[in-house]
Amino acid sequence: MAKTYEEINEKIRSKKAVVCTAEEVVDLVRKKGVEKAAEEVDVVTTGTFGAMCSSGAFLNFGHSTPPIRMTNILLNGVQAYGGLAAVDTYIGATQMTEDSEKGYGGAHVIEDLIAGKDIHLRATGPGTDCYVRKEIDTYVSLDDLNEAYLYNPRNSYQNYGVATNTSDKALYTYMGKLLPKMKNASYSSAGQLSPLLNDPHCDVIGIGTRIFLGGGEGYVSWQGTQFKTDVEEVGGVPVAGARTLAVIGDMKQMDPYYVRGLDIHGYGISLALGIGVPLPILDEGVMARAAVSDEDLFAEMLDYSLPSGRVPMARYSYAQLRSGKIEYQGKTIRTSSMSSYAGAKKVAQELKDRIERGEFLLNAPSLMLPKAGSVKPLKVREARRCAER
Amino acid sequence: MRRKVRVDFDELNVGESVAYILATEFGLKPNIVKAQVNDDSSGLMIFIVDGEEELLDKAMGRLKSMGFEVRDLEKHITRDKARCWSCGACVSICPSKSFTYDPETWEVHLDIDTCIACGSCVTSCSVKALKLNI
Ligand code: SF4
Ligand code: SF4
Repeated sequence: MAKTYEEINEKIRSKKAVVCTAEEVVDLVRKKGVEKAAEEVDVVTTGTFGAMCSSGAFLNFGHSTPPIRMTNILLNGVQAYGGLAAVDTYIGATQMTEDSEKGYGGAHVIEDLIAGKDIHLRATGPGTDCYVRKEIDTYVSLDDLNEAYLYNPRNSYQNYGVATNTSDKALYTYMGKLLPKMKNASYSSAGQLSPLLNDPHCDVIGIGTRIFLGGGEGYVSWQGTQFKTDVEEVGGVPVAGARTLAVIGDMKQMDPYYVRGLDIHGYGISLALGIGVPLPILDEGVMARAAVSDEDLFAEMLDYSLPSGRVPMARYSYAQLRSGKIEYQGKTIRTSSMSSYAGAKKVAQELKDRIERGEFLLNAPSLMLPKAGSVKPLKVREARRCAER
Repeated sequence: MRRKVRVDFDELNVGESVAYILATEFGLKPNIVKAQVNDDSSGLMIFIVDGEEELLDKAMGRLKSMGFEVRDLEKHITRDKARCWSCGACVSICPSKSFTYDPETWEVHLDIDTCIACGSCVTSCSVKALKLNI
């Protein structure tokens, strides 16, 4: 029995929609079977809460009197982009303060804005006939800004490798601290709760899908950068990084609980972000894919002591990874994650609550994401001559 | 009562055996959880010891009189719960397995009793929620 978005939204409006998290639905489908579950359930909510480096925010400051065309912009000492129109900027999450000791960067500016704090804005400009002011030094908060929205080119990686370290010294990576001689391994996916693992071929997630983004409402705006589909699959789900999402959302609706600046020792600044995607249970196929469990989802372990050319060493299910230890060639390796499963659960639950209360309607995508995509490496090469172009 | 104690020594008393004194003179059985001697012969030792309060006070007094610096470890590791986002980065790197995931909520718990104050977790935390106070 197929359902439509309109039918599901009608149920949400009248607070009659049946909503499950992607975790709850695992047991439901085991007990009742896909057919029955697809009939009963209208929406499955997914969630993830992890470090998402490729994030940032567009901000508009409004004009001062006299006005300035800002070309060099600092927010709490963090450089923001000065190549947009006079008082527009983009602040990238991983941008660090000049004083790298401080462990503060763009992600922290974003968190502080969302927390309602004052941000020190210092900017200079060339001074032109139409923008006579050459410098400004003031404070702004989120309320003062005309627009403030996250626009993240790559979030919510479909799957991700498990990091370990075979070398003799500890490594400090974006996957956390990796102890020498494979004493630990770090994974970074919410597994059975993760949005793109529950809709592995993006059959329902597309451009325009309304999502939970950092506590507010956001949208899938495009395929994420490095979107690829040519990845080995087990049970129809990629076992390595594959699809990604570009997302957009109004910072004025967000909650600092779900948007946090990170200072990852030895690596740099990143943004921890909570993202949840509701999956409309249009048919049994959507239901079957959303019922995937950690036992059926796999990730590959990679040696981060190699600078490149990391060949998968072994494959583990998320159930094994989450058990706290895995085996490799007779050796026990302790595991933990770099993304918050507790946070992912909260996101999925919060999204479920909002839908049940009739506060969050589903938006049908206006365009589906690409069915095929691959990622090219960057070659170091000479310029081509015109004739060859 | 149970106490966790940190003893600092230098080249003058590095040769003395803290454990031997506690055992022979006071009948205590310290469980040494950390011992470290630096190149300059200074170092530190952390042990857990059970016994009557009075006896423990006396024993610590004896160590102090020998020139050791003796401190009780209480809140030697603290976590700012509001900052912690339960990422788990500290879980697999702690040598004493003091961090665990709650099997229901998957929040990360810290058991200060088992902590040996090694400090390894401090830099693993991306939100600076962990502080070592020794
Ligand atoms: S200092 Fe941190 S890593 Fe070391 S034992 Fe204590 S909790 Fe574990
Ligand atoms: S590393 Fe820090 S934020 Fe992550 S679980 Fe441990 S204490 Fe919490």
